Formats: sequence, structure tokens, C-alpha cells
Amino acid sequence: MTVEYVDAGEAIDHSALSSMAGVAPAVTNDIDYERLLNARSESQNWLTYYGAYDGQRYSLLDQINTGNVSKLSPAWIFQAGHSGQMAATSTYAFEACPLVVDGVMYVTGWDGWFWALDAVTGKELWRYKHAIPFDVSLCCSNVNRGCAVAKGKVFFVTPNAQLLALDATNGDVVWQKTIGDVRAGESASIAPTVIKDTLITGSAGGEFGVRGHIDCWDLETGEQRWRTYTVPKPGEPGSETWPADGEAWQRGGGNHWVTGTYDPELNLYYAGTGNPAPDFDGGVREGDNLYTDSVVAMDVDTGEIKWHYQFTPHDLWDYDSTMEMTLFERDGKKLLGHFDKNGYFFVLDRTNGELQHVTPFVDRIDWGVITRDGKVTPRKYPDKEGEPVHFYPGPAGAKEWTHAAYSRKTELFYVPVADVGATATRRRREFKEGIPYWGAGVQVDIDNMAGSVSAFDTYGEEKWRWRIDYPMAASVLATAGDLVFAGTPTGEFVALDARTGEKLWEFQCGSGHHSSCSTYSVDGKQFVVVPVGWGGWLEGIVPGLLGQGHGSAVIAFALPD
Amino acid sequence: MTIAEENITEERSELLARLGLDGQNKASMGRVLATGSIAEATERADGTMEATIRIKEDEVCWDPAILVLPHGGDLELTVINDDKNTHACLLPSNGDQKFLWLVNHSRGKAKIRLDGPGYYWYSSPGGNDEGRGLTAAIVVQGEVPPEARLDRPTQPRA
Repeated sequence: MTVEYVDAGEAIDHSALSSMAGVAPAVTNDIDYERLLNARSESQNWLTYYGAYDGQRYSLLDQINTGNVSKLSPAWIFQAGHSGQMAATSTYAFEACPLVVDGVMYVTGWDGWFWALDAVTGKELWRYKHAIPFDVSLCCSNVNRGCAVAKGKVFFVTPNAQLLALDATNGDVVWQKTIGDVRAGESASIAPTVIKDTLITGSAGGEFGVRGHIDCWDLETGEQRWRTYTVPKPGEPGSETWPADGEAWQRGGGNHWVTGTYDPELNLYYAGTGNPAPDFDGGVREGDNLYTDSVVAMDVDTGEIKWHYQFTPHDLWDYDSTMEMTLFERDGKKLLGHFDKNGYFFVLDRTNGELQHVTPFVDRIDWGVITRDGKVTPRKYPDKEGEPVHFYPGPAGAKEWTHAAYSRKTELFYVPVADVGATATRRRREFKEGIPYWGAGVQVDIDNMAGSVSAFDTYGEEKWRWRIDYPMAASVLATAGDLVFAGTPTGEFVALDARTGEKLWEFQCGSGHHSSCSTYSVDGKQFVVVPVGWGGWLEGIVPGLLGQGHGSAVIAFALPD
Repeated sequence: MTIAEENITEERSELLARLGLDGQNKASMGRVLATGSIAEATERADGTMEATIRIKEDEVCWDPAILVLPHGGDLELTVINDDKNTHACLLPSNGDQKFLWLVNHSRGKAKIRLDGPGYYWYSSPGGNDEGRGLTAAIVVQGEVPPEARLDRPTQPRA
């Protein structure tokens, strides 16, 4: 006898089995280019990845200040968690900076997660989960650095190189574009930037020997406006810095995987580019290898590279220059400050790329020397096959991708510094698409390390240093309350006096910090929010803490009512 | 004797059976993942793909263990629980994961959307169904769209 099946119905959204509201107020409808140009003046909000186009990570909010920060306490905690299997389970982490618009917070996570939260209560308003292939190529963990908001939509990228525009009120997909080739080893982790009526993204995958590119997309339709490769073809400007008769340019790296900054008066987008590939084997790519390890100043309307400055010519240490290009003014001059993985702080004239000065910002640098006027002399690098070479800083750099802050009030930069070395042994290998292409065996030191939040004036002179036993691995935030906020690898979230470096407050968050905090206010009450959860490219950043517990929380702090 | 030599000289399916890797409470407590059958989805004229996934009685695994799609896109699944125990199904899909409760001897549907290429795990997220064997793979074949590929000559692949 045949027994009829019980009708199980049709599968439903997993989020339907949660307390999630499913809808958020339409707070982003009126966000346009004008508001983004003046993002800092909307100090109650955090409208862009860095808080403003200039990349300063500085807020005008001062309700929380040196006088009362000792009373700061958690207002709410959002626990993300995860279910099922996912790519890079062992190393996933928050690397995002939360955006906040009129009481609604937008946070991206690993593995295609996006959450809209009530910024006052932490209650989940809606979620989006993109399905990410388990086998996607990820050099440096399953991470995402954040989103952009404008005109009723939120925008973010996924590890399998998709760019999504979601309805900001409910997370529904408005459009989706494939922006990279996962079979080639491309992925995406950058927080997009909205400029005018476009969106700018970059690719990841330099460790797989891809050809880096920066892309511009129509905000409304997702149609591509332009693509600029960061490694030139033969015959293009810069191609003379690659072997003339080789294939190296085809696999040259130079990926733009951290959000750039933008000067609207100059109409220039300042994009940092990543390491050349293979990372440590320069013998197959003789020359300076433009535009790797550089800042490229791009016309945002055309993608044309107007000028460039290369921080580490012919890189042999994996010294990406993707991290922030902070825009600031001094004596009426438009400048750009950049703390590079190679351990040096560069200040450029951002109108033309002319170097102003270079200064070291970490204690131990022995890979080479850069003079104050920019002359580079390499000293220690993997050169002979099979011969180990130890150097400082290691491949995660004296400052990894995590961001410094610049206070307009104190005119100081606050820098998350990492002081750890590594050993690389050159091992040449043939190139195969989609297979890691490092050209060396690499081991980062698990002892004899240090870290700090260090304050520098715009000339690179150190003013104070707050020391810890491990390399710093999270972004710093500066506020008009004369405070500097930073999270440590061991879980402490601290507030430092911006003028002295004295620690004024700390809270143990239960897991290490590897993301970017931000600040906002709702109905006159200031909050500081930080995504927490140890993970990421730990084998490069702090392998001495590979055994630390994971976490996946967003924690907001406020003063008592 | 080495395991490597046995792998070479013996059919994989026979080796899985002889070592007890392909069933419940044999070599280990559960069935080692992806040791079961392989099937291909069919495709309708409109490009929507179709397939059936099933939990067989007392096998605590998905059949097929690996479902292969020719490309990314929409997939309509018939999901059947032929077991005499209750399970569930949690599937990846762009937008949100899809959940289906599966009491004993039940049948349901799931509509999911996946990018390609790449492979995804899905499971029965109750107790430790996932560890006992109710974790299976959906493999999406194909290439990314031409406009998303790098401007460079064809490169060697492994």
C-alpha cells in the first residue's frame, strides 16, 4: 500500500524564524551626492566608510569626552553567529565599519551577510544573506569591510565578486553585477564608495596572480562606467616597468581592496593598490612593477590615472599600499598622508603626487631604507632560492589595512602600529590560474612582537605612544571629545586621551578586534559602535594569537542616561 | 602497504564500503560526507533547473550527496524525507537561506538561486544531523560572464 507523503510545503526564508522586523525606515532615500560631500557636518550619522570622503575617521561629536568617558558602558550587543558550513570557517571575522543613517545602522559581515539594525536598541530590522561558494578563493579570510548608502539603497560586495544594490528598507535585491572572475582567484571585500551618480569598487586576489582593476558603476542600474587596470598592458604608460618580453603583467596583482578617498575640488579618487604577484619572487617580474604598491589619483569621471606615487618599487615583502590615503591641509596646501605597510609615513601634495617628506613610524625596519626625500634602498629580501630571509616589518606590515585617524582639533594622526617580523624563503613556482602565487614559503614571528597606538604630527614626529604586547589589528577613531578609540587583539576596547595617550577607559569585549569602529548619535545621545570578533588573516597579522577564541558581535557603547 | 596504494588499486566505491565509510555506525558513528551518489539537475526551456533530493530510511544522508548544476541561476528542488525520523533542510540561496521542516515521510519544495561557478553545502540543521551525514553539496558549473573576466590572454589552469 502506498502511503501519501505529508505535505511539507515550500521552504521559507530562514529569517522568518526569527524576531527580525523585516523592515527599516526609509532613511537613505534623501542621501545624495550633496549630503555625502558634507557627511562630516551630519555628525549624528556615519554616512561613508571613513565617515567622510577625506578618510580622516574623525567625528565632530563630543558628548562623550575626556571628562566623562570613564562612565561609558555597553548600550546593546548584537550577536551575529552563523549556521551551516562556510568558506574559511577558521578565519572569518568582522572587518567592517558600520554606517549609521538617522538611527538605522548598516553592517556587513563575512560570507555575504548584511544586517540593518536599530542603532538605539541593536534590534535586527532586516538581513540579507548572499550564498557564497564554499570553495571561493580567499587569500586572507572570509571578510568584508562595509557598505555604501545612497538614494534608498545600500551597496556591498561579496567574497565571490558580486556587487549588490539592496533596497535599504527591506534588503531586497535591486540589482546585482558580477565584478570579478572567481575562477581566476578574484574576490571582493572592499566597501564601495558613492561619488556623484556612480559607485567605485576594486578587486581582491593579488595572491592568486590576477590583474588588479578599479571599476565605476552606475548607481541606479549597475551598468559599468569604466574599468581601469592597475597593471598596464604592453605599450601602455607604466608598461616599461615590467619585463618587455614576458607574461608577468598578466598576473601582476596591484589590487585595490580597501576604500579610496576623494577630493571633490580636484575630482580625484585616491586609490591604494596592492602587492605585485608573485609576492616574494621578483625574479619573474624585473622592474618597478607599476602601479603596484602605489597611490593612483584617478579622474572619477573617466578612470584616467592623473598621477601616481609608488611607495615600494619592485616589492619583495608583500607590502600592499591599499590602506587609507588621508586627505588633510597644512599651510593652505592640499596634502595626502599615508602610513604604509613598509613602515614609513608618506606625505604627498595631492594635486600632483609630489613627495613632501617620508618618516618611519615603527621601531623595527630592516627590509630597506627610505630617505626623507624618498630614495628607496632595499637591504633584506628573499633573493636566493631556498634561502630563508628574516625582515621587519613582516608581510602584514607595520600597519595592516586597518585605519589611522586624523583629528582636525589636535592636528595629529593616530596610528594602529604593528611591530612584528617574518621569514620568507623564495620558492619559485609556475603560474596556474586560481592557485596561490606567492613564490615563497612565509612564516611570521610568533614572539618578539609589539604594538601601539601612536600619535604623529603631520611631519611624522611622534608625540605619544600607547603600548600593548601584540601588534594592533583594528582601526582607530578620533572624536572632537579629544578621544581616540581603538580595539586590541586581546579584546579590550579603549579610549585614549587624544593629547596625551593616557588610557581613560576600557571594556573587555570578549574577543579580539579586527574591524573599524564608528560613532553616531540619535536624539542627542552619542554612541560608539564596534564590530568585534577575532579572525582574518591571522597567520600574517598576529600568528601568535591564532588560538584566540572567535566572536561575532556588534557592541554599541553610550553614557548612562 | 600504504593507503595510497590501495586507493590506486581498488575502486573508490568498493573501498568506501570495505572500510565502512559510506554508512551509519560502521567505521565511525556517522557517514563521511560526500561519499554517496552524484546526480545532475535537469533544465527547463526557461533555464530554471530542477532536481530531487531525498533522505532515505535510516541512512541519515542526502541522496544525491552531490547535485550538479550546469550553471548558476534558479533551482527548484523537490525535497523528500523517506526516513522514519524528523529532519529539516537548510539551503543556501541568494537573499536568505531557505528552511523546510521535514516530518517523517514528508515531501516539500524549495526554490533557491545560486551564483556560479562554485559549490555550496546544505544540511539538516537539527541535533547533529549535519555531522551524521545530512550535509550535502550542490556544485554549480560554468564560468563567470565574459564581461567579468580579466583582460588578459588565456592563462594556464591546474
